Amino acid sequence: MARYAMVIDLKKCVGCQACTVACNSEWEVPIGHARTHVRATSVAGNFPNLLSTFYVAQCNHCDHPACIALCPTGATYQAEDGIVKVDRGLCIGCGYCVEACPYEARYINPVIKKVDKCDFCSARLERGQEPACVETCTGHAKFFGDLEDSRSDVFKMVYEQGAGRLETSEVAIGPNVYYLGKKEHVNLVLTEFPPHRPRMPEAGTVWEKVVKPLVLAAVGVTFLGQAAAFFRQLMKGESLFEDEGEK
Amino acid sequence: MSVKFNRREFFRRSSAAGVVAGAGAIAAKGQAHPPGWAGTQRVEEIATNCEMCFWRCGVLAEVADGKVLKLSGNPAHPLTEGRLCAKGNAGTSLLYDPDRLKYPLMRAGQRGEGKFRRITWNEALDFFTARLKELKSKYGPESVALFPHGVASTWFSTLMRAFGTPNAAEPAFAQCRGPREVGYALTFGQGLGSPEPVDLAESKLIVLIGTHIGENIFTSQVTAFAEALSRGAKLIVVDPRFSTAAAKADWWLPVRPGTDIALLLAWINVLIAEGIYDKDYIARYAQGLPELSSHVKEFTPEWAETITELPADKIRATAHAMGQAKPAVALHPGRHATWYGDDTQRSRAMAILTALLGSWGSKGGIFLPTPLKTGKFSLPPFPESKRGRADGAGTRYPLASEEQGVTNGLVDATVAGKPYPIKAWVVYGQNVLESIPRRENTLRAIEQLDLLVVVDVLPMEQVNYADLVLPEATYLERYDMPQIAESAKTPYIALRQPAIEPLYESKPGWWIAQQMARRLGLDDYFPWSTPEEHLKKLTEPMHVNLGELRAKGAVAFAGRPYIENRLREDGPLFPTESGKIELYSPLLKQLGFDPLPRYVPVADPPLGFFRLIYGRAPVHSFARSQNNAVLDALMSENEAWINTQAARDLQVSEGQEVVLENQDGARSLPIKVRVTSGIRHDCLYMVHGFGHQSRALRLAYHKGASDTNLMTRVQVDPIMGGTGMRVNFVRVLTDLESGQMG
Repeated sequence: MARYAMVIDLKKCVGCQACTVACNSEWEVPIGHARTHVRATSVAGNFPNLLSTFYVAQCNHCDHPACIALCPTGATYQAEDGIVKVDRGLCIGCGYCVEACPYEARYINPVIKKVDKCDFCSARLERGQEPACVETCTGHAKFFGDLEDSRSDVFKMVYEQGAGRLETSEVAIGPNVYYLGKKEHVNLVLTEFPPHRPRMPEAGTVWEKVVKPLVLAAVGVTFLGQAAAFFRQLMKGESLFEDEGEK
Repeated sequence: MSVKFNRREFFRRSSAAGVVAGAGAIAAKGQAHPPGWAGTQRVEEIATNCEMCFWRCGVLAEVADGKVLKLSGNPAHPLTEGRLCAKGNAGTSLLYDPDRLKYPLMRAGQRGEGKFRRITWNEALDFFTARLKELKSKYGPESVALFPHGVASTWFSTLMRAFGTPNAAEPAFAQCRGPREVGYALTFGQGLGSPEPVDLAESKLIVLIGTHIGENIFTSQVTAFAEALSRGAKLIVVDPRFSTAAAKADWWLPVRPGTDIALLLAWINVLIAEGIYDKDYIARYAQGLPELSSHVKEFTPEWAETITELPADKIRATAHAMGQAKPAVALHPGRHATWYGDDTQRSRAMAILTALLGSWGSKGGIFLPTPLKTGKFSLPPFPESKRGRADGAGTRYPLASEEQGVTNGLVDATVAGKPYPIKAWVVYGQNVLESIPRRENTLRAIEQLDLLVVVDVLPMEQVNYADLVLPEATYLERYDMPQIAESAKTPYIALRQPAIEPLYESKPGWWIAQQMARRLGLDDYFPWSTPEEHLKKLTEPMHVNLGELRAKGAVAFAGRPYIENRLREDGPLFPTESGKIELYSPLLKQLGFDPLPRYVPVADPPLGFFRLIYGRAPVHSFARSQNNAVLDALMSENEAWINTQAARDLQVSEGQEVVLENQDGARSLPIKVRVTSGIRHDCLYMVHGFGHQSRALRLAYHKGASDTNLMTRVQVDPIMGGTGMRVNFVRVLTDLESGQMG
């Protein structure tokens, strides 16, 4: 089975945000939101010995995703190829996963009122295309591929050229977006945009209104995964939500 | 000034590539395009090219039910190979911008008030025709001036020349590339054209002088730049600002603004003094080395250090790096080159350095254009004007291009009414208040006009001053002149064809020009009616399959980019007067200019002032993309970059709103400060294009500040008329009350 990953080459990235716009356009992301976004670091050092680079952020499709455990409905799940996906039919837009994600890769889409995030352009992959951001990248700085395929670019970049993960001693959940570049550039990104500890949400008001008491009770216990499985099953029988998510 | 050389010959020889006169037309829809997809829905896919800037990257438009759903890069495009920048990806937000000009408009209030009434196209074109005829009989055809920009301006240029006026000028020359084209043509016999033939992909060393690739996004250039760095090419960046490119550089040289020529002369000095230039190449192809050698003898790195504020050892080290990497040194000629008024001479210095490195026509340096044979309709000769041009091209500015003209020369002539009255402006594809400096002067010129006609897509500020506004279709709704890209390494022909029919009552530029020609009795200059007809004629000698061209959007040909590939039919390698690279320029000497570039100091900022410098952001183009909702969300305003220490001295902080006031008292709209160590202490930087003053641009109105409004002075390049714009100084006002715009 494949293990999909991305590598961002900081030597090549010019921070042009073509990826952001291509993605927004591909996935009809409402203006003001993004599945992938680019931030410039500050300028570090003393004139004229300066340092700066860009941080390209998106869902990291982590080995141990913090978002899944917190999803009360099981809408967020991980496919066998490692891609973390959201089943819009199940998502209730509670926003717990948004809080949980250490990389701030998720947002609530205000149009469909459900969570949205990068899924490595799964629909495009099925059609044999690359993710939209990779295809459009002006610096050819973004690479997508299978980490279990030793012939892939990403395999070489990760296992031979030393592309690294944005992890800290506090947060190490196995992100699958890797960063290649000068050590000082990668460190600068990590210093300025460190993953934050997953935030455990307060009782959300959104899904309290929507979810049946039965489910609430189940979610109330700590075995969120079980609750999610339960909820999934429940959903099969009855339609609580209008499916307005898919195009 | 009497000029004893053949200007026409000079420019025939020196116009490198890219522009073809001719005509286009609209096609029936429903060509056999390959199917595309939007989600799971089958859609039609139209291959065209982008006009969010002028690079014309290949675009695929996914169309369903007459709506463009999505744009993406066209993988079949020979230059851009499927990559598209943020602007290109955001093109649909221009197409569906609710603020677009939708109908022809006639002014109903005072100039500048922005009051209009909607009229029909018939009324509009009849009015336009009647006014042109009236002006012609009253003041002569030369009283009508054209300010074109962009691909489709070809039609208007043809129309105006047929009408009998030689007065046309686009900012692409005197506010942008002019000095570069002239400087390189003086040296190598030909300019560079667009896309720039810089062989970044094969270079071992890239040298950028003020060029900020990365913020300045021309897709294929960024790709080649990044690939080269990834391959291990070294990078020298000369820029007073720590640009995106500077952050990737092996050597960042934060030069004192205005001293680039001193740096270039010192580099030349080292190459010659240490004998590390390309001796064989120079011996074979160049003349003027002895003159150059003695000229640069005193311009040592130590001499340059005191001027440029760059350490002599760094100047020497970077010269050595060039000497080692030669001839694979991609010394980028730049694009916007009108800085200090000595710009042709700076470009000359860059060209000379390029020659010494043996880079012109060599792998990894500057490659050569490949001529493509195109078919042309035979048009009647254009009427010759007895009164000549009003803009000074060829007279006051001896080496200004007559093809592109001198915008500021035309503005000045309009203000002065000399050498004769200019009474009408036709503006196409640009916003003269933002593209030409000295805005007050431009407004004074507009006051002199009996007629201002603006053809535009959006209600830019100049529209408020127009008598007649003609709404043009966007690039996604029209045919334009096909691009004949001879200066690409793999030369190609690319189509711009409509993805959908024009929205509202907008019309393509070609249609407007053709209609006007009919009304003015100039049909003979537009001898075509359908796109098939025109395209067929154009491509006759090219042997391209038109079906393939329409489906793929572009067809490539074999290039002959390097000296060793050249064929006899490509013409002389160095079409100068001497047939050699002219390190020493007899032509400049003859015209009374320095035959070898000299460093002449430019004025420093007065105490308390910064030099105003400006540039681009990757998500905006000129002053034309700020109303695009997607791009506005990414960057809605510009910032004033101020050095950390200077900000401390001024007691301004990050994000604080300030007003900038220039040396003549011109004030900006409020602008936020970016405090950064990534800029020299003596200059202030902002991204060009913000601070729109048209209320009809509901998104862009009054966001950020306009650099153009702070350019009340220019230093005109005496050789070609370009306006050096980095000669303005600003101080920072923190009291916003006093800084309020009047």
